[in-house]
Amino acid sequence: MVYPGHLKKLVEALTRFPGIGQKSAQRIAFYLLGCSREDVVAIARAMVDAKDKLGFCQTCGSLAETDLCIYCSDSKRDNNLLCVVQEPRDVLVLERTGQYSGLYHVLHGALSPLDGIGPEELKLDRLVSRIRESEIREVIIATNPNVEGDATAGYLARLLNPLSVRVTRIAFGLPVGGDIEYADDLTLSRALDGRRVI
Amino acid sequence: MEQRMFKADGIVLRTRILGEADRLVTLLTLEEGKFEAVARGARKIKSKLAAGVDLFNYGHFTFHRGKTWPIITGQDTIKSFSCFREDPDLYPYGIYMAELSDRLISGEQPCAEICRLLLEGWKLLGEKNTDRFLLCRSFELKLAHISGYSPHLHSCTNCGSEKALAFSPRQGGLMCSCCQAADAIKMDPGTAAVARRLIKAPLSQSSLVRLSDSQKKELACVTAAFLTYHLDLGEIKSRRLLAE
Ligand SMILES: [Zn+2]
Ligand SMILES: [Zn+2]
Repeated sequence: MVYPGHLKKLVEALTRFPGIGQKSAQRIAFYLLGCSREDVVAIARAMVDAKDKLGFCQTCGSLAETDLCIYCSDSKRDNNLLCVVQEPRDVLVLERTGQYSGLYHVLHGALSPLDGIGPEELKLDRLVSRIRESEIREVIIATNPNVEGDATAGYLARLLNPLSVRVTRIAFGLPVGGDIEYADDLTLSRALDGRRVI
Repeated sequence: MEQRMFKADGIVLRTRILGEADRLVTLLTLEEGKFEAVARGARKIKSKLAAGVDLFNYGHFTFHRGKTWPIITGQDTIKSFSCFREDPDLYPYGIYMAELSDRLISGEQPCAEICRLLLEGWKLLGEKNTDRFLLCRSFELKLAHISGYSPHLHSCTNCGSEKALAFSPRQGGLMCSCCQAADAIKMDPGTAAVARRLIKAPLSQSSLVRLSDSQKKELACVTAAFLTYHLDLGEIKSRRLLAE
């Protein structure tokens, strides 16, 4: 297909977005061409600003615009509670539930010997000293429920248990809205382990 | 014409994220050798496939031939080796065996023997009285043996003298003091005997071998150097995280 040069460049750039193929990229490109110049500049600026102005919190590793993120600098949050997650986007997902009001710690990964990621790469010593110097009483480990996430949780539990904090693992169970019949064995056996009185 | 659907019994050696919600899984199968396959939607919490395509899983798989990779259409777990999820000390050992096997097998050559060795190795790692150090050395030597490289451990590789006290990774065996190779590493006859035994005896008997701390060190150096030289493995990243 023959495109004018700049259109081709735009479509190519857009196909780099996750989940955007050639067709969707074309649609977005024509949408942008139909927008006013100001609107297009505003969209482009939003991207550049986000990239330039967002970094990671010095304390917890969440996305932040200054040295301290909005969670760490919020005095209304429960500073007895710390939730450990793998990625900054996990913080946003937990926030969306509106159920959690404690602090966070982002590991930026999980123990992955195949990628050469060990305890040092995850800077776990920083997590330990953060807990030591704080009023945290409970650490909730919310790493992914896969082998890497589970092994990381186990490692963390052993590292943190000697400190005087309660270490808990986020519960595993059946996804809401499904049928038990379709659950895989491992999920089902973990759901049994994690049963509770009603 | 090639069948569009096929089946294989395989082990998940490695998994990585593909696109938004899919996983690209490296499988070691008894029937079809090693290949990559796509597990669609396996990152989603409600995915039926997710648990079955996680690391260390051994199961029956069914596939559909896709454009680039086969697509996994079904999976039934035979054994999930959950010991590696539960014990963070054991986890790097399981990964180490997987990484070695992965590096050693280049393509879709049949590799049932390596599959069985890996399954046996993982099973033994999960058992209480296993000596992880000896099991790993035995695993390394057996892998090399299956691939057609066994170190020469009876006498000097060069002249046949029985008074060989060093090992040359390049020559692939023991060296006497007269023949000396530039890359020779110290290896006493006791250590060489242990290595011979580890190659010959079943994996399950590796923990029965007795050796001193200095022999342990020698054995670790020799096997690592031998594997690196002959099997062209490059850097084994998970080795650094073993507690040795
Ligand atoms: Zn923060
Ligand atoms: Zn000689």
